[in-house]
Amino acid sequence: MMTTSRSTVGGCHSGLKRPIAAHCLIFVICLAVGVAAPGCGAGSVAGPAPDFEAALVLREKLASATGATEAGEEKPQGTGWATLKGRFIFAGAPGDAKPLIVDKDTEVCSKGGMKLYDRSLMVDASTKGLANVVLFLRNSSRVKEPVPTDALVFDQKNCEFLTPVFAARVGQPIDVKNSDPIGHNTNISGTSFNQLIPAGESTVFTAGRETGLPVTVTCNIHPWMKAYAVFREDGYVAVSAPDGSFTIPNLPAGEPLEFQVWHERSTGRSGAISLDQPELKWNAKGRFKIQLEEDEVRDLGTLEVPADAISG
Amino acid sequence: MKMLVRTLDMEYETVSAFAAQAGFKTPSGDLIRRDTRGHLSSGLFPVWVLGGVAVFLLLLTTTGCGKTAAASYRLNMVESAKQRLKPEQEQQVATILAALFGTPDEPIAPSECGLDAAKLHLAAGPVRSDIVGRKNGLYREHCAHCHGVTGDGMGPTAAFLNPYPRDYRPGVFKFKSTERADKPTHADLVMVLRNGLAGSSMPSFALLSDAKIDALSEYVKYLSIRGEVELALMRAFFELDDEDQGRLPEDREFLIEEIVLPVAEAWQAAEDALIDVPEMAADIDMAASIAKGKELFYGNKANCVKCHGVTGLGDGQVNDYDDWNKVVLQAHKTVQGGLEQAGEASTWDMDADEADEHRAELAWLDRFQKVLDGNALPPRTIRPRNLRQGIYRGGMRPLDLYYRIHAGINGAPMPAAKGTVPPEDIWHIVNYIRSLPYDFNGTLGVDKPMVARDRL
Repeated sequence: MMTTSRSTVGGCHSGLKRPIAAHCLIFVICLAVGVAAPGCGAGSVAGPAPDFEAALVLREKLASATGATEAGEEKPQGTGWATLKGRFIFAGAPGDAKPLIVDKDTEVCSKGGMKLYDRSLMVDASTKGLANVVLFLRNSSRVKEPVPTDALVFDQKNCEFLTPVFAARVGQPIDVKNSDPIGHNTNISGTSFNQLIPAGESTVFTAGRETGLPVTVTCNIHPWMKAYAVFREDGYVAVSAPDGSFTIPNLPAGEPLEFQVWHERSTGRSGAISLDQPELKWNAKGRFKIQLEEDEVRDLGTLEVPADAISG
Repeated sequence: MKMLVRTLDMEYETVSAFAAQAGFKTPSGDLIRRDTRGHLSSGLFPVWVLGGVAVFLLLLTTTGCGKTAAASYRLNMVESAKQRLKPEQEQQVATILAALFGTPDEPIAPSECGLDAAKLHLAAGPVRSDIVGRKNGLYREHCAHCHGVTGDGMGPTAAFLNPYPRDYRPGVFKFKSTERADKPTHADLVMVLRNGLAGSSMPSFALLSDAKIDALSEYVKYLSIRGEVELALMRAFFELDDEDQGRLPEDREFLIEEIVLPVAEAWQAAEDALIDVPEMAADIDMAASIAKGKELFYGNKANCVKCHGVTGLGDGQVNDYDDWNKVVLQAHKTVQGGLEQAGEASTWDMDADEADEHRAELAWLDRFQKVLDGNALPPRTIRPRNLRQGIYRGGMRPLDLYYRIHAGINGAPMPAAKGTVPPEDIWHIVNYIRSLPYDFNGTLGVDKPMVARDRL
């Protein structure tokens, strides 16, 4: 473009001045286009604007004295209690656990050449049992057992949380312990709990509300330390054992129940585990529905988690 | 470049059409023409046309994107992408928020929040003077360029500041007189505005009247409550019973009681959640206290040394992130991990449903990536405070340091010593920390702080 404009010089009545001006202008145009083309705030993804008319209607509705609560369906309520059990196995090859990078307090954390390993996928070699799958009841209508008053111990030793995934009830005291000769801190995300735990000491934490899906527990001093916690009001929650088995007793019988299933490494939405089991109406949010009879002990049998449901 | 040429062509056409209409001709007598390739034919291209294009484009760039729209709140797109919300779900959140909290020009709040409408009015809206000459629009005058109109910490200057300006939306504040998990009191916010945050870009607004600082503090609270409600709404979609295309209920029970009330109550509870600070003994032996504090600093009980470093320069733990940056960092990891996993899959051996699912996953990851590039600042590590400088963000009074050690710093890795370190020990640590800027190779007595690197 620039070179062709040279040939026009002769054709211009006013001689050499114009092309130079033209060059300058072309430069200005390019500059301006460069600024204009990306646009204002391009790159940022804009969400939809509010529907202001609907907002005004909604505002009036919320302000009205009646409150106009949408009539929810009355949920059927049964009587008695029942138990749900089963066992998760992993269909894929778990591979070798990766060693963690331990670069602090090595005199304790790597004592005698000890190595710490990633525990995000724990599969029992002989039974293929998948440990640390979390399963809990959503929206229970009634609860059999009161919140326990004795503390649940959550300990750390050799720079590792002894329980990779733990469940507690809202209001239940948790004794956060440090059995190491060095200091740790325990940081439970989403709860604003982040407490220094001096060597050999402990402190009590009580969850004030439910977590929904499990939240991370970390130590900022030793960044490789990681665990998960799940807090539920009703305590209808299980973490699968090393052999993959779980049991939730005292569930409300005679009414529809919905369970949420989660695993740290699940490729599903927010860690949800969804299995291809039409009879349980297992959905993409990692939930299945079931109804139990009074005093029934329902065994879901072996629940196989396919290889591609776990991230590599 | 192709894009650029096309844009030029379009402008050229606009201008040439205009020129033709107006009866302008080139010196050769022809109307403006294109060369054989359809591109600009500069041979017949007079300077005034280029000039016109330049002026037009300059006007376009200098006046911004056309019209001046009323200020609007930005949706929390990072959370929306994380929760995989659909456009209609995002729209519902935006509409509910507009119903509950109004707009940046006309903020309102549900009465449950206990916010003062007059103060919000003074702080909100464009910068203007009312009929008696009182300045309104204080937030946009003093705060929005860093903290953003939405209070998302993403104002135009945010990317150039370190640390980044606070994003109020998670409702987490660092410097306060309440327990770690509690909100700051109104007085805490006022203090941050009045004193600024030493060592950060947050300046002191001490020149503003008490009434203005009061109004701005109220407005920060409003933006924070609004942001927390937005997060709660976005997260509530996952809790819905139906699987997809879900809509949140729009009744009082859900919106006010379940979503707004817990947030509002936490803010109100803060006023009564002050940390109980026992006074330091008046006849304390300061030298002994500093020695005890030093022992605690390096010891296994308080463990300060692990992050603040053996030198106290804040170089013990330099690769950690605060909670705000962690959210973005985690999102980047999710997207990267997802793309890697998706890259290994091939639609070749999928059935139609699986292929659709795979494409939907890729579309989500692609959008999430765009959101992270355009709607979030690059995650940045947090440095533990350099204790040799005598500069403390949350205030330099012994009491301020006591609060920081007792409750830790919410949102930051700094843990709370409360419960495991008794109050008298916390005072010893405070005294030791306060001696550090004056400490020279372990000897006190240097009468003024020096630059840390000169001392070591």
